[in-house]
Amino acid sequence: MKRRDFLATSGLALSASLYRGAIAAPAAKPNKTPSASKITRGVTLYSYQEEYYQHAMTLEDCLAELASIGATGVQLIAEEMVPNYPNPPQAWVDHWHEMLAKYHLTPTNLDTFVDIYLGGHRNMSLQESVDTLVGQIKLANRLGFKVVRPTTGPVETPAVELVERALPDAEKYDVRIAPEIHAPIPLQGNYIGSYLDLIHRTGTKHMGFTLDFGVFCKRLPRVMVDYWVRRGAQPAVVDYVQKAFENAEPGDKIMAAVQKIGATEGNMGLAGTSWGYGPITNTPAMLKPMAPFIYNIHGKFYEMKDDLTEYSIPYQEIIPALVDLGYSHSIDSEYEGQRWTQDVIITDSCEQVRREHVMLRRLFGEIA
Amino acid sequence: MFEKQMVLTRGFQNVFKDGTPVGFQFLMKTAYYRGTFLDIIGSIEVAVDGTKYARDQLRITVGDRTFTMEEAGRAENVHWDFGTPMIVTVLAPGGLKPGIHDFTVTLGMNPSYVPPNLFLTTAQKRMTLVM
Repeated sequence: MKRRDFLATSGLALSASLYRGAIAAPAAKPNKTPSASKITRGVTLYSYQEEYYQHAMTLEDCLAELASIGATGVQLIAEEMVPNYPNPPQAWVDHWHEMLAKYHLTPTNLDTFVDIYLGGHRNMSLQESVDTLVGQIKLANRLGFKVVRPTTGPVETPAVELVERALPDAEKYDVRIAPEIHAPIPLQGNYIGSYLDLIHRTGTKHMGFTLDFGVFCKRLPRVMVDYWVRRGAQPAVVDYVQKAFENAEPGDKIMAAVQKIGATEGNMGLAGTSWGYGPITNTPAMLKPMAPFIYNIHGKFYEMKDDLTEYSIPYQEIIPALVDLGYSHSIDSEYEGQRWTQDVIITDSCEQVRREHVMLRRLFGEIA
Repeated sequence: MFEKQMVLTRGFQNVFKDGTPVGFQFLMKTAYYRGTFLDIIGSIEVAVDGTKYARDQLRITVGDRTFTMEEAGRAENVHWDFGTPMIVTVLAPGGLKPGIHDFTVTLGMNPSYVPPNLFLTTAQKRMTLVM
């Protein structure tokens, strides 16, 4: 997409007016100008994982970077950066709150993992999983988070009983439990339906969703595809897998088809990974039934291009839809491209996040 | 992920008992994007110069505690922090000879939200042993 096409489709009144006469009026109804957006900008520190891992950035360096790009929300993967998880020393917690004040940041969402299969060694009992989640709610409360995103088992399986049993503690500590709507979850299906039933049945104000924009992928990230090509994925497999994604073929079918062509590391890696995007059938309009209960968004991206658009995810369609739906919480940048490029280029997470934030500011109508 | 970063050169050495090499050890960071309790580790495979070592020859040390792989599977409260190396010790009488060695190390992590072995990372690294 050319820059001016991007501006036109993004629905920015000011920008569009600059180009009036230069481009034909769009055939479709233009998006509303999202200048009344109440959406705030944040970053999950997941985005800076590689620099943190290499000890090139400290936690405070991450927070200072957020301040320098005007982000107001900060999101954490608890097991990435919290020492002595899940029970950090009080001195560390005190320092965390001092840093939040210093950099004018609000904690948005604490990402946690209830690993119910314990690595395949044994399964947690339901009570053990509830106890684990409650411990994470208490940690969220200590760190000032109002939302916790637990994984609760397989990504597409709702854990209604686990969440329901933890609700009394969610209320007590005033932390909302927000399981993630993550690719490849279809927006119209059992996962979301089961949780919506729980919300409506109980009337709870302490359960909702974390939405990950990876569910809106319109094509496979090319950084991911290129990674598997470097590992030997054949052109015929690349072609097939991309078309299969675009035709919303189920993952097991893709795996079986590629196995027939040739079960090499590159081929099977690409086939297996292609399972984790979209599905392509998801659209922003499908968010309506769950929109009031979305309490945080992972602004997932894999590759911010030089034209300040994302290669796979149509932000220019998603953001106006969220504004229309009245979303009023944070979109937290979640950079996930590094794992596909770190074998060949030096990762610059800050640069990638910055590009997304310029895109968001444009889509919010803050800048041209 | 982190295939070029998970195995560290620093710390690679033989392990001695009563002056005799009884194995070797090296430092390894997780190749997953968060720290985990040790039970989440599905597998660690080590091969040096084409020689594969068995699972029961491995010991892993996190903080000041050392585990067999069997014990690690039950260490549900011992956390291997993100970006913090563990020591992998391979019990192999005689250790390795001083000089250059080719390592192939595979780490499998099994978080419950994805099928087993989705997070399987293989590091290949050439490292020099001094003693």
